Amino acid sequence: MREKNYVLEVKDLKVNFHTYRGEVKALNGVDLKLYKREILGLVGESGCGKSVTALTILGLLPENAYIIGGEILFKGEDLLKKSKEDVRILRTNELATVFQDPLTYLNPVLRIETQLIEVFMLNKKLLRQAVIAKKAHGKNVTFSSLLSWKNELASESSDLKVSRAEIKKMAKHLCEDILGLVKLPDPKRILRQYPFELSGGMRQRTMIAMALARRPAFFVADEITTAVDVTIQAQILHLMRELRDKMDASTIMITHDLSVAAEIADRIAVMYGGNVVEVAPTVKIFRNPLHPYTTMLMKSIPNVKKPVETLKSISGTVPEMINPPSGCRFHPRCPFAMDKCRKKRPNLIEAIEKHEVACYLIGG
Amino acid sequence: MKDLLVVKGLKTWFPIKSGIMQRTVGHVKAVDGISFTVHKGETFGLVGESGSGKTTAARSILRLIEPTKGEICFDGINVSKAKGRKLRKLRRRMQIIFQDPYASLDPRQTVNSMLIEAMKIHGITQSRSEAHEKSLKLLNVVGLSEEHLYRFPHEFSGGQRQRIAVARVLTVNPDFLILDEPTSFLDVSVQASVLNLFKNLQKEFNLTYLFISHNLAVVHHMSNRVAVMYLGKLVEVAERDTIYNSPRHPYTYHLMAAIPVPDPEFQKEEVLLTGDVPSPVDVPPGCRFHPRCPYATKKCKRKEPLLTETDEHWVACHYDIDFESGEKKA
Repeated sequence: MREKNYVLEVKDLKVNFHTYRGEVKALNGVDLKLYKREILGLVGESGCGKSVTALTILGLLPENAYIIGGEILFKGEDLLKKSKEDVRILRTNELATVFQDPLTYLNPVLRIETQLIEVFMLNKKLLRQAVIAKKAHGKNVTFSSLLSWKNELASESSDLKVSRAEIKKMAKHLCEDILGLVKLPDPKRILRQYPFELSGGMRQRTMIAMALARRPAFFVADEITTAVDVTIQAQILHLMRELRDKMDASTIMITHDLSVAAEIADRIAVMYGGNVVEVAPTVKIFRNPLHPYTTMLMKSIPNVKKPVETLKSISGTVPEMINPPSGCRFHPRCPFAMDKCRKKRPNLIEAIEKHEVACYLIGG
Repeated sequence: MKDLLVVKGLKTWFPIKSGIMQRTVGHVKAVDGISFTVHKGETFGLVGESGSGKTTAARSILRLIEPTKGEICFDGINVSKAKGRKLRKLRRRMQIIFQDPYASLDPRQTVNSMLIEAMKIHGITQSRSEAHEKSLKLLNVVGLSEEHLYRFPHEFSGGQRQRIAVARVLTVNPDFLILDEPTSFLDVSVQASVLNLFKNLQKEFNLTYLFISHNLAVVHHMSNRVAVMYLGKLVEVAERDTIYNSPRHPYTYHLMAAIPVPDPEFQKEEVLLTGDVPSPVDVPPGCRFHPRCPYATKKCKRKEPLLTETDEHWVACHYDIDFESGEKKA
């Protein structure tokens, strides 16, 4: 069965936020599955719940949020049932994130080196083994070689004495190596610099390097190309594609830009008003979008390769989440809305092979 | 076609002051000598990455920022030398739509008073009833209705606010509009309707647009001609299809190749630029693109290429490069 390949499964996740204006119903039953080593593009407009979904998975929701229901299964365990401390440990070891604005997440008063070494030093055991491998077996240790070590950690242990200085030196060596891996020029110089000395693209690469340094099994990239220019965006997307082949991680790539998702994702999940409305492999969803929202969204974005005289626009605006529309949250803007749509929310069902959609027009 | 706006050698430098004496120690060369013309009735697209000087150029044209040097001619009138009444008259004809509709509308004014204020200042209408009639009409034109007239900006969504900004601009019967990233604050599903609105208004009111955006797909959709800006200079100006399909400047070529295409089956060539845009404080000598240009030679480091024309296609590069084979001719 395919099910064994799931890294992550989100089932009927519901999250609300307390605000002084009222209850914001941010997630209204989100269903998602993430396969091993894939890039899932999570696409939607602002306020549709993409980022909230990611934050819930990572256990990083703010104080005023609370989870109404649902489960998040990661390697068979429900993350929502774990204690805060357990999730924190999981975040250091298995879950990694890169956010939109790298300057906010880098410490402005510490050199890149200090910040990156800190990440490596979290796993001293691994560093110790790397030092042994280098000293005893004369191996040339690189970050890429560490990736393939994941399972043979135990076998490498030995009684050889390893000093603190040696561990630190190894961590520094790995820092240089990983900056090279994310294609930063002159890693030695960058390690000595502070975040403000780097450009937007370079900061974003540094953040990616820091996330990868933990060798995560699950990686969230939240709008990582939104704050950078087109030419830099192309570089970062290229990097992500390369890394997917080298890493053992499954990625959720959050973006509001369908074109970016088209370039990088294996599968795409479209969100609207706190629900996933359609999920399918990238080529399928672009060839044959089933949900009216997806269809209309695709016609509303200009395509340089297929210019049109007038774009098709979607009437109305993104729903307000304090008093969201009843039933299917897209019904006020949907040209095909029926009575049924106003009453009950359609479930996400597999309409065609591997192509799931939540709409009464296509069964459901 | 008639030239509506002629910009010649426009420079806008911002001084960097330092020390207790506040001496000028350098300049941010935001716009460093650009020349172009906008024909009557067309949409002229201006693209470039952040920090390339697009917005500064736009504001300098309207003299919202005083340009350091250069000449701006609007419909035969020298904007750079206009003063007082003459300038005010020009301001009526040249208007701008800003990027952020949450910042460009006065939160304490109703839509009605905003619309009427502009008409009052420029003496567009004679009586109150006439002004009211006109603001109602324009509100309908931009897709809003009478019920919206007495509301405040906070009651509107981003798309609606941008429509109000458009209605406000139209009250003074402008000939020329600068649209400075007018949809970048809007959601994708709302963007299309605002872009369509601009296209319709252009036909209805005979408007000429200067359309500024970093979104190359949007500029492609809107423009007749396109100029590409890099670090305060124009590197290429041409008809839209020419510049998107057969660019001649290596920067334009890489920029066009970097546009993400919303079609996973489209086979794209991977051509990547290395590095980032340098700081406009110390601009590289010679051609400012040379540190990132894969075709750069010694000449490029020494001598700055001029924007030169062949068949309405302006390029600032020393070489004529065939990007497929990588061959270059002087």
